Amino acid sequence: MLRFAAVLVAALAFAAPAAACPHPRTSLNYLEGQVMCPTCHTTLDMSDSPAAQQIEGFISKRIAMCWTAQHIESALVANYGQAILAAPSHRGFDLLAWWLPILGVLAGAVILAFGVWRWSRRKEPDEPDEPDEPTGSGLDEETERRLDDLLARYD
Amino acid sequence: MTGRLKTTAQALALACVAGLLALLVWSVVHQQHAPGVGSMAPAFTLRRLGGPGKISLASFRGRPVVLNFWASWCEPCKSEAAVLERDWKSDRSRGVVFLGVDFHDLDSDARRFVSAHGLTFPMLEDGSGNVTQGSYGVSQVPETYVLDRQGRVVAHLRGPITDPAFAGQFRSAIAKAEA
Repeated sequence: MLRFAAVLVAALAFAAPAAACPHPRTSLNYLEGQVMCPTCHTTLDMSDSPAAQQIEGFISKRIAMCWTAQHIESALVANYGQAILAAPSHRGFDLLAWWLPILGVLAGAVILAFGVWRWSRRKEPDEPDEPDEPTGSGLDEETERRLDDLLARYD
Repeated sequence: MTGRLKTTAQALALACVAGLLALLVWSVVHQQHAPGVGSMAPAFTLRRLGGPGKISLASFRGRPVVLNFWASWCEPCKSEAAVLERDWKSDRSRGVVFLGVDFHDLDSDARRFVSAHGLTFPMLEDGSGNVTQGSYGVSQVPETYVLDRQGRVVAHLRGPITDPAFAGQFRSAIAKAEA
């Protein structure tokens, strides 16, 4: 009975702050992968520097205050600038960083497809020549007959 | 038709390679280095920490300037703070200006640091590090520059001024900057 009461109290203690949040609570783990350490130029989860620890502390406090990931990121951008985010934003000039790789892959695929098409088209006209090869040796009939005779001696 | 297409494709490929090369050259040329002794200190304008308005380095032309880069998460900055404040109090009457530049730091933590150490000289914030890293090539705080009346670098100390190697150098640099 006592154990049940302890579990209930613990569950309520953990559930209360979560319930106070009107939206799903973000996590430090998630944001550590989204935010850069400004002094070491890696994401927070890859760094143990004092600057990274300071930002982790800031994030933890804001998560406890029910801030959304977007809100926390905005606050960090206001303080450190856009470079604090590991990925560029989806607005304005930063959109290029998202679209250029896709465009590059598409352009590569188009160039590759075009190259393959050209290559296959070039091969086609050569094929009908192949059956002519025995008569296309460039020798007259007399020479060919003599050559066949000579070769027949070695058979 | 195919010949023209081939030429266009080759031109496009060449343009891509040239673009990448230009990008490489640009990044090498624009790599920031710390201004050397005798060179002009890069100009900047930064927001005051925890206060309204901005401060420009150019506004102190004609006065020796001690430019100290720090952050609240930096341990050696804590030991240095008291010495900087003491020197500021003793040197300000002779026209020497001390400027603190808080770098890659949270505003709230930086303000707490200033308050906890009782720092009274002007403080600026450089959260993005554009000035600190970009113009002054500071990689690890604390670092201190001493500038003469013309804005030229007299000394650049990479470490806390409380370090025995720098203490004498710091005072002699200020004397030189005042001359």
